[in-house]
Amino acid sequence: MPELTLTPIVPIPDFLIKEIQSKLAYVDETVSAAAISSNGDSITLTLRHAIDANTQQAITDKVQRVVEAMAKNARRLRTQILEDYLDRPVAYHADPMQALLERGEVFQEDTGLFTLGPILTNLINYFEGIFLDLAAKFGAKPYRFPTLIPARFLDRVNYFRAFPHSLSFATHLREDLDVIEDFAEHTHCDCEGALTTPTSSFAPIQTLLSPAVCYHLYFSLADRPLPGGSLAATAVGSCFRYESSNLVSLERLWNFTMREVIFMGPQPYVLEQREAARQYMQTRLAETGLAYRVESANDPFFIGEFRQQAIFQSAFQLKYEIRARLPFRDSTLAVGSYNYHQDFFGRNLNITLPDGSPVHTGCVAFGLERIALAFLAQFGLDADQWPKAVREAIA
Amino acid sequence: MIEEVVQQLLAEALNVPLDQIHPDLAYGDLPEWDSMGHMNVMMALEERFSVEINTETIALLTNVPAICAYLKEHSHA
Repeated sequence: MPELTLTPIVPIPDFLIKEIQSKLAYVDETVSAAAISSNGDSITLTLRHAIDANTQQAITDKVQRVVEAMAKNARRLRTQILEDYLDRPVAYHADPMQALLERGEVFQEDTGLFTLGPILTNLINYFEGIFLDLAAKFGAKPYRFPTLIPARFLDRVNYFRAFPHSLSFATHLREDLDVIEDFAEHTHCDCEGALTTPTSSFAPIQTLLSPAVCYHLYFSLADRPLPGGSLAATAVGSCFRYESSNLVSLERLWNFTMREVIFMGPQPYVLEQREAARQYMQTRLAETGLAYRVESANDPFFIGEFRQQAIFQSAFQLKYEIRARLPFRDSTLAVGSYNYHQDFFGRNLNITLPDGSPVHTGCVAFGLERIALAFLAQFGLDADQWPKAVREAIA
Repeated sequence: MIEEVVQQLLAEALNVPLDQIHPDLAYGDLPEWDSMGHMNVMMALEERFSVEINTETIALLTNVPAICAYLKEHSHA
């Protein structure tokens, strides 16, 4: 595959290499992979096909825009560690994906889309039991939300500005007999799996695939006082975040499942519940034997907002991630997070407290496929090697 | 007076008329003073007053009086 190597407009600091590398996937459709040298002074793009000089210049310009927006005047954020159990003993050191694929325990339907077999499903159900215990401890009321979410909802909370790169859209054929019959007779998939239908056959996009669970709750309570002044709720749902060439194994899925416990109310209530949830999970995660760390983090904002929002989230301690150890790579994977949104949703959606001020919100979220994968990465597929509590619960 | 300079700076950084910036204005009081607005204010303060505001301090400078008190102590501009 042809490559394009270039020197970034400013050196990329080590703490931004992974973040910028992931954003380079969105620079141009020609780019199939991007790598930044460890000292941050070189970027190598792998291209799907050879390109002419003009295209090369256009791609270079776009890469430099990303680098300038994210790295220029960037500041290193202090990582705050709330829990550190990364040194817990683990029994496995290989990448579990190979074994899962060989045993038919996972089947890849397409990029970022996987079918899961009994091992992962049982593990997910086990972890779900713990998360449901967490929800019960807080008296969280159960909710079910649709997989689709109206575009007007996301527009109201500036989602398009913050995360445009990861959106997934839902549409349907226009209500037109000619269009529908033409589709039925002529449409098939081309060699790359894309529908041959012209885009003019599709209706305007008014709906997206939901990127998060808790948004549905906030929208359902918009434009009125929060009943009772505070609320704890829980729901599980499919979430969709398109991550381009960053979609890798079960670590980064396009379509994944998230369990959330959601808190709404005055600021002290939300912060206290978030902290109590973290402490409860500390005990429950110990039972599982999982090696992990809880540390400050930021959401994957797109380049225009990344630098400022990352600093803001760090300054106000808005997000902490549960990062489980991946022994085979000597790295970690975010499997959950403790989040506080201040009164962002209360203000933007006009959800008020009894005194008329906007409600504060927070949520505790777990990626079900990821936590099951991290467990297998630490303990392998052989249940005899699993910690007793997990083995007995699943048996 | 530093209070007047700060209010002028806030109006420019948040892109709102000066008459919306009152002496006790706080983060969240205006739709424009949201997370991005707050960071715009912090960057404008750093540039105008030649100070470096660290991450921990960013969370403390959430109203006009706090900003003024901080600048009186730290700014030499």
